[in-house]
Order: sequence, then C-alpha cells, then structure tokens
Amino acid sequence: MVSDTERPLKQEHTELPKLTMKQRRLIKNSILHLVLVSLSALFMFPFFWMLTTALKTPAELLRGTEVLLPATPQWQNFRIAVTQVPFILYLSNSLLLVSLSIAGTLFSTTLSAYAFAKLSWPGRDTFFIVMLATMMIPIQVILIPSYILYAQIGWLGTRLPLIVPFFFGGGSAFYIFLLRQFFKGIPRELTESAIMDGAGHFRIFWNIMLPLTKPALITITLFTFMFVWNDYFGPLIYLSNPDHWTLALGLRAFQNQYSGRFDLMMAAAILVMLPTLVIFFLAQRQFIEGITFTGIKG
Amino acid sequence: MKKTWIVSLLLLMTLSLSACGWFGDDDETPDGRIEITFWHMSPVGSDAYPGTRRIIRAFNESQDKYFVRGTGLNFWDYWDRIGVAIAANNAPDIGFHTLDNVILRAQNDALYNLSALIEADLDAGRPTIEIEAFLENQLEFATYEGHLYALPFTATTRVLYYNLDAFAEVGLTEDDVPTTWSELYDVAKQLDKVSGSTIERIGFDPTYGQGTYHGYLWQNGLDFFDEDLEVTLDTQAHVDVLEWMINFNTGAGGFTRNQLNTFGEGNQMLGLNPFAAGRVGMIIETDGLYQTMKIHGSDINFGVAPIPVPDEDGIRINWGSGFSIEMYNNKDAERLEATWAFMKYLMDYDTQMELAEVNGWLMAHYPAMETFVQGNPILEALLEEVQFAVDKVYVPYAPNWHANDWQRYYDDALSERRTPAEVIAMARANYLQKQENFEAAN
Amino acid sequence: MVTVKKQSSLTALKRQEKRLGYVFASPWLIGLFVFGAFPMLASFYLSFTTYNMVGVPRFIGLTNYRILLFNDNLFWPSLWNTLYHVMLSVPLGLVVGIALALLLNTKIRGMGFYRTLFYLPNVVSVVALSLLWLWLFQPSFGIINQVLDPVYRLLNMEPLGWYRDARLSKLTLILMGLWTAGGSMIIYLAQMQDIPFELYEAASIDGANALQKTTRITLPLMTPSIFFNFIMGIIGGFQVFTIAYIMTGGGPSRSTYYFAYYLFDKMIHDNNMGSASAMAWILLLITLVLTMLALSLNRFVFYLGEQK
Repeated sequence: MVSDTERPLKQEHTELPKLTMKQRRLIKNSILHLVLVSLSALFMFPFFWMLTTALKTPAELLRGTEVLLPATPQWQNFRIAVTQVPFILYLSNSLLLVSLSIAGTLFSTTLSAYAFAKLSWPGRDTFFIVMLATMMIPIQVILIPSYILYAQIGWLGTRLPLIVPFFFGGGSAFYIFLLRQFFKGIPRELTESAIMDGAGHFRIFWNIMLPLTKPALITITLFTFMFVWNDYFGPLIYLSNPDHWTLALGLRAFQNQYSGRFDLMMAAAILVMLPTLVIFFLAQRQFIEGITFTGIKG
Repeated sequence: MKKTWIVSLLLLMTLSLSACGWFGDDDETPDGRIEITFWHMSPVGSDAYPGTRRIIRAFNESQDKYFVRGTGLNFWDYWDRIGVAIAANNAPDIGFHTLDNVILRAQNDALYNLSALIEADLDAGRPTIEIEAFLENQLEFATYEGHLYALPFTATTRVLYYNLDAFAEVGLTEDDVPTTWSELYDVAKQLDKVSGSTIERIGFDPTYGQGTYHGYLWQNGLDFFDEDLEVTLDTQAHVDVLEWMINFNTGAGGFTRNQLNTFGEGNQMLGLNPFAAGRVGMIIETDGLYQTMKIHGSDINFGVAPIPVPDEDGIRINWGSGFSIEMYNNKDAERLEATWAFMKYLMDYDTQMELAEVNGWLMAHYPAMETFVQGNPILEALLEEVQFAVDKVYVPYAPNWHANDWQRYYDDALSERRTPAEVIAMARANYLQKQENFEAAN
Repeated sequence: MVTVKKQSSLTALKRQEKRLGYVFASPWLIGLFVFGAFPMLASFYLSFTTYNMVGVPRFIGLTNYRILLFNDNLFWPSLWNTLYHVMLSVPLGLVVGIALALLLNTKIRGMGFYRTLFYLPNVVSVVALSLLWLWLFQPSFGIINQVLDPVYRLLNMEPLGWYRDARLSKLTLILMGLWTAGGSMIIYLAQMQDIPFELYEAASIDGANALQKTTRITLPLMTPSIFFNFIMGIIGGFQVFTIAYIMTGGGPSRSTYYFAYYLFDKMIHDNNMGSASAMAWILLLITLVLTMLALSLNRFVFYLGEQK
C-alpha cells in the first residue's frame, strides 16, 4: 500500500516539467482565446446588428431594442435588394473597375516605390515630399478642377477617369509610401548577393523585391479592392450611363428609396460588404510566415 | 501563386467585359432628333423609376423632333452631382434643384429666362405654360429681377401630425386637435407617458421633426432677417420664442434635460421617425412623413392639421421647401427649343397629375393637385397648407443660415450650456461677421 | 577578384541609377503632371479668388487668407480642435494598432477568424458603427457608463457625458475612432511577415523569451510601418471630419468642429469655394511642416535594407 502511494508521487515528480509545459501552453492559449473572444464582441457588434436588422420584419423594427433576434429570419429582404436593381450588371461593372484598378495600382506603385526606396536620382527627395503633399489637400477642393480636366480630355461619361489614373499612381501616394517602407526593409544581404551575381535593377525588382514583399502587395490589393468596391462617389460624378453603374452606387438608390426601412437598407449594405470580408479573410491567410535568407535564390 | 492571381484577374475582366455586352442600352435611338438630357430623382431601383421612364417615353413618342434622355440619381447624391456639373458648365439641359436658391443661379447666368420664352410663345400664339396654375408664394422664389428663371416643381409643406390612437388612449378625439400654442401644451401634457423615470411617449416637442425656430418666429411675425437681408435677432420677442421652444417639456411638472436627451437618443437608435414609432403623440413634419408611414405599413391611426399658432393673432404660415425645375443655359438654340417643349409637357395638368401619382409628391400645379387629393383627407389637409407655405429667403452671405449657421449656436441652448439670450446674441454676431466678410470678398 | 567585380558592378549600378530612377518613377511622375498638377494648382489659384461655383472666379488677392486669419470666429477654434485631435489620436492609434497586430500574430487556431472580426468595423456600414458607439458611450443607457457606475458612486461624481460634454467630446471621438484600427493592424501584420526567421532562431538559441523577442526583434523591425502609420496618422488626422459629421455634428459647443468640417461647410453650404480653397492650402502648409518635422524621425527607423 505504501509503495503504491509512493510510486505515483515519484512519477508525478518526474513528469512535472513536461506536464506544466503543456499546461502552460494550454493556459496561455485559453487566456488568449478569452481575451480575443471578449474583445471580438465589441468589434463584431455592428455586423451582428446589421445582420439581425436585415432579417427583421418592419413590425419588429418598430419595437426597437426589445427584439434582439428576429422571430423568423426574413431572408427575402436580400432577394428584394437583389431583384430591385440590375444586380448582375452592377456586380460585373464593379468587378471590371476593381480588377483594372488593382492591376493599375500594382503596376504603378511597385515601380514608383522602388524608385523612391532603392534608387538615388536627382529630385527624388523633393518628389517624395510632393507625393506626400498630394495626400494633404482635402479632396473636396480638387473635385471641380479634376472634373473640368476630364471634361477637357473628353472622358466624361466614360469609365476612363475611374481606371486610367490608377495606372499612373493617381490617388496611390499612400501605397507608394507604404511599399517604399517595405522595400527599404528588405535585408541588404539579399540585394547585395544578387548584385554580385550581376543582376540589374529590373531583376532585383522582379525577382527579389516583389516576391519578398508579397504581404505588402496583398495589403495594397486589399485596400484598392475595398476603396474601389465601396466608392460610389467617383462613379456618381463621372459616369452618366446608368448601365455603367457599380454596385455601391446602384444600391444607394435602393437604400435611399427605403431610408428608414433599416431591414432593407442593411440587407443591401451587407450585400456590398460581404465580398470585402471574403477578400480580407483570403488575404490575411497569406500572412502566416516570415521570410528566410535561405531559399531565396531558388 | 502569382499565376493563380493573374489568371483569376483575367477571368474577372473577361467576365465583366462580356457582361457589359449582354446589357446594352435599351433606350430608343434618337435617329436625327435633337437630344436633350433630363436629370431626375427616380434612379433605377426606386419605386418611381418605371413611372418616370413611362412619362419620358410618352413625350418621346408624342412627337418626332426631340428626344429626352433621362438620368435618375438618388436624392442623397443628386446635389453633389448637379453642383459639380453646374460649376463645370456641364449641367443637364433640364433638371431639379432647390427653389429657395434659384436666385444664385439666375444671377450667374446659369439658367434660361423663362418669362422671355413664355412671352415669345404668347406673341406667336403658341400654347405655353399657364403661370396661374402655380402659387404666387412659390413663383416669387423663382423670380429674379422681375423674370422667372425656374418653375416650382413640387410643393413641400409642414403640418402637425397627430396620433389618434394616443388621443383615444387618454380620452381625446379629433375635436381636441390643438390650434393654439396653449392648447398644444395642454394636449401634449395629457399625451405624455412615463414609466419610472423613463419617458415612453412625449406628447409634443417643438424641437422634434421639422419644428424649426424660424418657423415659430414666422408665426409670430418675426424673422432672422429684415427685407434688406440685414440680420435682426435683436429683440426680446426673439428670445421668448426660443425659450418657449426649448423649455416646452422642462417646465413645471415636466421632464429633466437628461430624461429628454436619453429619450432623443433612444429615437436615434430606432432610426425611425419617432411619430411613426408611436413615441411622440404629435409632431411637425412635411408631407414626406405620410409617405414614410405608408412605406413602413404603419397601422397608426393619424391625422394632419395646420401647425398651431401662438395665439389668436398668430400667423398661419409654414416653411415650404420644394424642388424647382430649371433649364440650364447650355447656349444651344436647338436644344433650348427641345428643352422648352419638354418643360411645357412636364408642367401641364396631366403630367403633373401623373408625376404626383408616380413619386408620391405634392406637385406645384395647384389645380392638378386639387383633383389629385380628392377623397384622401390627409392629402387634402396637406394641400390646404401648401397655400400657407413660404420658402426660406436666399441670403448670399449666409446661404445656410437656417441650418448650420444657426444649429451651431442653437445646440448650446438646447443642452442648457447657454441661455437663449446668449445664443441668439452669438448667432447674430456670427451673421454680422459673415456679412462683413462676404462684402469684403465680393 | 570577387571584391573587384563587386566594386565595378556597384559603380555601374550607381551610374544606371540616375536614369533608372526616372524610368521606375515614370508612371507616378506622368500621373502627377497629367492628372494631379492641374487640379492642385487650380485650387491654389482659386484660393485667391471669390468663387461661388456657379459663376466665374474673380481674383481678390489675399483677401480670403486675411479674413480667415483675422476675422473669422470659427477658423482658429476649428484649427485648435484639429490639432488636439491629431496630438491624441496619432499616438493612441499607433499603440492600439501595434497591440492588435502583436495579439493577432500569434499562432493559435482560428486566428484568421479573429483577424477578420477585428477588421469588421472597417467594412461595416457607418450607420451600424455609429449605433455601436451610441450603445457604448450614451451617457444614461450606454454600456460604458453602466459598467463605470460603481466607480461613479464610489467617487460620488456625476457620470461622464462623453460626446455630450464639450470637454470630453474630442477624446470620445478619438476613442470611437480606435474601432477602425484594423486598417493599420493589417499593415503591421504584413510587415511582421517580412521579418527573417533566422533572427528569431538566433534569439532562441541565445535564450531570449517571447517578450525579449518582441521588444528586441519584432518592434524594431516594425519601425518602417510604424513610421508609415505615424506619418499617415498625421496627414489623415488633420483631415478628420466624417466621425464628427455623423456623431456630433461638430458639437457640443463647436468642440468637435474640425478644420476639414469647416472647410466642407464653406464649400457645400456657403458656396464659398475661394475661402474653402484657402483653408485647404493652409491645412496643406501646416500638415507639410509637421510632416517634415516627423520625417526627421526617419533616422530612428530600422530599415534592414540599409543596415551595414
């Protein structure tokens, strides 16, 4: 009996460090989950409200906060939002603008950021300040001159003012500055070994900088997607043919019609918002590992 | 990985490009007609879109010289769009705007002179717009230096809505609908409903809905500005009206400011007109609330009446703020001719009836509206008040005098941070400074 | 032999650089001259005119600037409100963004889900977000004051009025703004992915704990994006507008009437584009000066690409 009680004690003693390692990680993870979950509630609330509101009946809306969850979810609210506007048309218009502006942004910002980060050329520092300054002027005061400019070129009524500037860094100072910071953070060892191998700047740019700053490029893609996808003002001002309208602009007509009918307004808002969430989820999945010095050349 | 991205991007682009091919512009082609553009507020996706389209199409089919291309923009965004377009000399041939600042555009040569067009029609013996069909109080705002530069398009009016269910609950009937401020107070207090320290329903609050300080001033024969557009706001009577307005519910036996604030924010959270939600017994609102109640399928039993006047000497007047319809000066004689033909079509008896039907608006054509509202007691009462509706004056040095310029100070009185007298003095000083600066810059 | 080759290729690269700099920067440079320059210069010109956006602008010299600086009762208060906002929101935004990013860079199950949740406020409708803020900060039924109720009782004080109190309103809006810190969080997360593994491995071998790794490796190597968010925080902070427009309408007592809000009112409600343009250029000048000062902090930024 005595030995029986002694043995487990001994075992416990020897296994103590191993168990606590596991336990410690378990405790650490639980605490982390707890912190995250409780914080999430604060961040999730607006979406929760949007979703439950979108699914309520008008009668439930009238009762305000008394009703937290709809008795029967009114999924047809989404159908109403989709069918009252030419949804597929607007969706494809949005996708067209989004894909072209992402392509344009990636093209112009990566090249320009490389010039600002890695090359020294006369006027670089002045132009860098000018670039920052373009972000400091409130957009409202340059709206009318820009409109007049596009009218002079003859682009009004076409999609060109909403696409072409992206290929020339229009409104992209933010991204150029961001990428410049990332390019400057790429370890010297990597660029130097490439130079030793006789690589030129285009090769360094294409083979080293772009692959290594993938997280930044994904971030820029995400931001451009979000901006163009949600922007109703640009399409409003520059497009004259309603057949060119985007989802963000097109659904505003629907929301305006039912302003006060929060159920329908939120159904439309969720429809606009969901793709950005999906894109975000996919994008952040790429953020899982750091870079390594080795294996770059391959 | 990179390849997947590029491939999916290309895929997206082809998809969207081909989608554009599927949905062509299905409007008829003008085949040699004079084409003009018309901006309205019935965008694709709104209930009024099919009707508006029908009205435009009927015009296009009624003759073979002109072709109208309509573009609908929602109310929220319409103003930015047309503002930029006017600034860039790129305005549509015809469109809506706000009646109360027609003068600004007339002064700056942005609009065609309609009086001249009407006269030319009369001289040539052609049919033209019957000016008598529109109310004098509205036409006045479309007039600059004796000439018409726009026409009133819709007629907005402000009235007192009352909840008959709430009335019945406390033993009141339609006969008890107040007509003076003291009756208003008595009825309002009977309609108040409290549970514990939380307000459940407020009988009436002069600061709610479309109850405005300038509206109450007008009823007392007072105003912000005199006839020369010099700011007044310097009498005790001005202070008294503001005091009445903000202290309506805080007097003896009333509520605390904190209770009222909490109640107000509760309304905000609801995101719905508090009258439609049954949280206030009476409210001053425009004809728009009638539409809102309809859209919500509200089952509240309600009626509308003229806004109660201060006393027997009070003036029956309310703030009307309708749209104008304007022809933008695009310096093209052919398009002018087409636009004028379309304008006459839009403003005739039948089209105005149809527009009222389609949009749920009260239109400016009074005889047409008299027919339109028949049999609907609420619309009849609303139209009655249109005759007493007056727009706010355009003050070049403070175009937004009734809203931002005033609100910034008014809020201080509403939250009891300053006394009404202090607030009025500060607002007055601000208008004076704006005037001085405007004169220095112009 | 190797060093000689290295030297010569380096000098060749240096010579190339001058030309290549313009080549690489050309998309942006062309865009600047074709699309960017005219609207900027036009707004500069308009700041010396009286222009109601219907008629034609008329040159009036420095009048707009003189009026703004010496005879405008809202210019200086709105500028002060904005400076207050920038001074508090920039550091607070940095701390919260970095903290969120550090929290969400750990490897536990469901991290993608959490990251998406924390990013949600950046994509939801403004209405929904403003309702959340009301829920939280409303003085009588808001959650925060209900939680703090025992504290108020203990200290025998009135509950805080948050956005309804002119002394706290700016701070309240800054706190509300923290809900959208997910935007900078994602930039920090992106930067963390670019930190070489080897550095952490070497640190582990040296026996560094998690905290040391964070303060010695992660944070220093995040400085490029911290610096970025710092500069952008200043630039964006000076243009603060939307949140006040939605939540307070500039009140109470004009305490959240920010510079960009005033500029917006001048343009939209007063039809005074000349004065609005002058305000825009004053704002640009102030932001530029402060940004230049901030740029001098660049020497504290740790760029791996520039370490010898």
